[in-house]
Amino acid sequence: MGNDLRKGASDKVASMMAAEMDRRQVFLRGAALGAGASAFAATLGQTGYKASAQATIEGMVTVSEQQRQTWIRNFNFLIPGGTFLWPTDNGIYEPSMIASRITGEITPWLAESFEYTADNLSLSLKYRTGVMWSDGTPFTAGDVAFTFNLLKDNAGLSGAGGLRNVLGITSTVEAPDDTTVTFTFTEVYTPGLFDILAQNIVPEHIWSTIEDPVTFLNENPVGTGPFTEIPIFESNYWELRRNPNYWQADKIGIEGLRFPILGDNDTAQRMLIGGEIDWAGNFVPDVENIYVAEDPENHGYWFPSTGDTVHLHLNTEAPNTPFADVNVRKAISQAIDRTEIVNLAMYDYTTPADSTGLSGGYPDWKDPAHAAAPWVTMDIEAANAALDAAGLVLDGDVRTFNGQPMEFELLVVNGWSDWNQAVQIMADNFAEIGIQATVTPLEQTVWQTRVQTGDYTMSIGWSSGGVTPFNFYRGIMSSQTYNPVGTSSPENWARFVSPEADALLDQFAATSDLAEQQRISSELQRVYAEQAPAIPLFPGPQWYEYNSTRFEGWPNEENPYCVPSTYSGERLLLMTTIRTKAATTPTT
Amino acid sequence: MNYILRRLGFYFVAAWASITLNFLLPRLMPGDPADAVLASAQGRLDPSTIAAMREAYGLSDDPLLVQYWSYLQGLARLDFGISTAFFPSPVMDVVQTGLTWTLLLGGVATIIAFVLGTLIGVFSAWRRGGIVDSAVPPLALFIGSFPYFWLATVVVFYVGFRWEILPEAYAYGLGLSPAFSWQFISSVMTHLILPALTVVLVSLGGWILGMRNTMVSTLSEDYVSLAEAKGLSQRRVMLRYAARNALLPNMTSFGMSLGFVLSGSLITESVFNYPGLGNQLVQSVSLRDFPLMQTLFLFITISVLAANLLVDLLYLRLDPRVRT
Repeated sequence: MGNDLRKGASDKVASMMAAEMDRRQVFLRGAALGAGASAFAATLGQTGYKASAQATIEGMVTVSEQQRQTWIRNFNFLIPGGTFLWPTDNGIYEPSMIASRITGEITPWLAESFEYTADNLSLSLKYRTGVMWSDGTPFTAGDVAFTFNLLKDNAGLSGAGGLRNVLGITSTVEAPDDTTVTFTFTEVYTPGLFDILAQNIVPEHIWSTIEDPVTFLNENPVGTGPFTEIPIFESNYWELRRNPNYWQADKIGIEGLRFPILGDNDTAQRMLIGGEIDWAGNFVPDVENIYVAEDPENHGYWFPSTGDTVHLHLNTEAPNTPFADVNVRKAISQAIDRTEIVNLAMYDYTTPADSTGLSGGYPDWKDPAHAAAPWVTMDIEAANAALDAAGLVLDGDVRTFNGQPMEFELLVVNGWSDWNQAVQIMADNFAEIGIQATVTPLEQTVWQTRVQTGDYTMSIGWSSGGVTPFNFYRGIMSSQTYNPVGTSSPENWARFVSPEADALLDQFAATSDLAEQQRISSELQRVYAEQAPAIPLFPGPQWYEYNSTRFEGWPNEENPYCVPSTYSGERLLLMTTIRTKAATTPTT
Repeated sequence: MNYILRRLGFYFVAAWASITLNFLLPRLMPGDPADAVLASAQGRLDPSTIAAMREAYGLSDDPLLVQYWSYLQGLARLDFGISTAFFPSPVMDVVQTGLTWTLLLGGVATIIAFVLGTLIGVFSAWRRGGIVDSAVPPLALFIGSFPYFWLATVVVFYVGFRWEILPEAYAYGLGLSPAFSWQFISSVMTHLILPALTVVLVSLGGWILGMRNTMVSTLSEDYVSLAEAKGLSQRRVMLRYAARNALLPNMTSFGMSLGFVLSGSLITESVFNYPGLGNQLVQSVSLRDFPLMQTLFLFITISVLAANLLVDLLYLRLDPRVRT
């Protein structure tokens, strides 16, 4: 979702950047004025974003994450919709464990270990001792049980990922002693483990006194995380400083995080280029020239393809369409020039998708045996041959199905420039196989309603994801996520059901044996590669830029210890690794 | 008296119409309010989260009339509901952070442009064909004809970003807290210069031209010639006899501009990242925060109506012809 957030404004940015390219010439002419100007600025003492008039910002990491016009104090991360301030969860508060989608490792955090009973109907987690809340109260397993019961009792609160589904099959959550929490389930559903592990924990001694947790603003948060103190909070700026009682204080190499208001992408980008932001999760077009070239020593970026795979969804239940025929779906897929899409629409920030549909976020799961099916490679001749064989006869330039010309709308969200460019390329591709696709940009609400209720024939769109491939395949070819046309369906927009996949998903959810799950996942990949339930285009890159002028230890391609985007759930790993450089140049 | 009552009646109906439209518009948009709230999350949400959101936001399925009544009741209590983009903060809390800054920026820029423009207009009409008259109005019109967005972006980019002469963003320095101290006030003032300057630059031409043209026709009136024949000082004739009477139309537009202060600073605030209501309006639209949007629209409508009413009343005082 993060990458979607950062779409749009890029056109405006591009034009600003063109101005930036010319700046050197203008700068020569303005040099004299500029020199005098800087001196004047020095006397004024504050220039734009740099100004921090009071407290020292030594050791404070400046972050570009949320784009808001004003900061409003809200640290209740249990409310749905992400309206609270970043980084309330996985920052001020912490989860039981952190599962990395880039390394595939599970890092114990507040919990040390987990264990299922033989029937997988009960799960127990062992928690550390010696963890303190930032107000000095000891953290116990009781807080964990309280958090899950709080969520269970309040339907208006949202949990990590799909936790609410897990709560629906959870009968009890109890803390028999200070370090153990036991879950009992009414049915076996092992993929829920990762939602439980990712859930951040709130302190019982504070939240138990809150009357309505759904409208609670939690203005003075008490957490177990590395940064919990808020010495300054203004509508244009706030700081989050170190937790005096942090349980792994030896891992903290910075003083805290600071958040100037960044109204839009343009502003964020301007500051990033100017070297005033240390850690960002922004989309930047042509990042090598625009950002890295400003200071190749210190300006770095890394866009791992761990986001979810963007698909072309073909509605298999749309009237007068042949999309229920697997050969037709594969032929359409073969017509797509993924290299051009990745190249032009995505600035080469990602790679063409393979025939498992899985993004780069499943290092231990992807089975190369199913990744190279021919239908994800462009081959217009083969595509035309397959459509001929399917009985779709050419009538002039356009094929017909049941006597109807194959002319379809291709839906896309208005203003999301990368998606718009991708569908434009696809529409051109489809013309070569006798399908006339009309690109139809829609307002996001309208688009969302139409794809979810099945009122479309073709649309670009996202897919589901998680720590294991379970959610992805469940969301794209299972009867559990299927809803008929006319009923809103948050997943499975193609309305495709594979009984084989259903059986495999049931087996997957019934075992807690990792090797067994990986074997089943391999089978799921085979089914996907055979059935092409939707047409995979490219895995979504996750945006991340860093500046190593003042801080070191940033993850990057050479040191990929976590998914580094600000909006990544693995950000605690980054926050507890980066350090202030020993010999820093004096900051402004 | 009759006139005032008629005007008041008119404004009452206008206010009621805009309040009602304001209530209806978001409800006439395609998709139900829940979808709009979901779209404000700008992307994919887990299905279970969506259910939680519907529950938390208490999206109403009541009949329209019932909703309309509770909407009116809310307005009477100045309770504009809960912002969806800042859930669960009340809309008024969000609006409050921007109100002062919009009034400050819009007010200062409009007053400076009006005073300056009017004075230049008076002077260039008085010395028709003089240096001021042949240089300033054309120049002001030339600058004023730049697209505002472009002009402001250039100013931000060079003056603020590249040369770092003046702050190009925020209403005051980061890390400062509002206080009655020289440090804070000076910071507010330096942060005001660039955005206010660009607004003055582009709007100056209009004021000059308006004033100059009325002034020119006023100067040919008999009573001006009489004043000059009586041997009154040039200054007195220019200001007390000509300018005072020529001011009337400009005064009207000034009142109107003040009414538009709340809505007028949209682009300025966006470009200068100035934390005002215009900025909030842009954001509330992009995040589909209907309660916030409604409140801001209402503020704008009411302020425009109030300014109009004021101008009407002022006219009553200034222009005896209206009274009959």
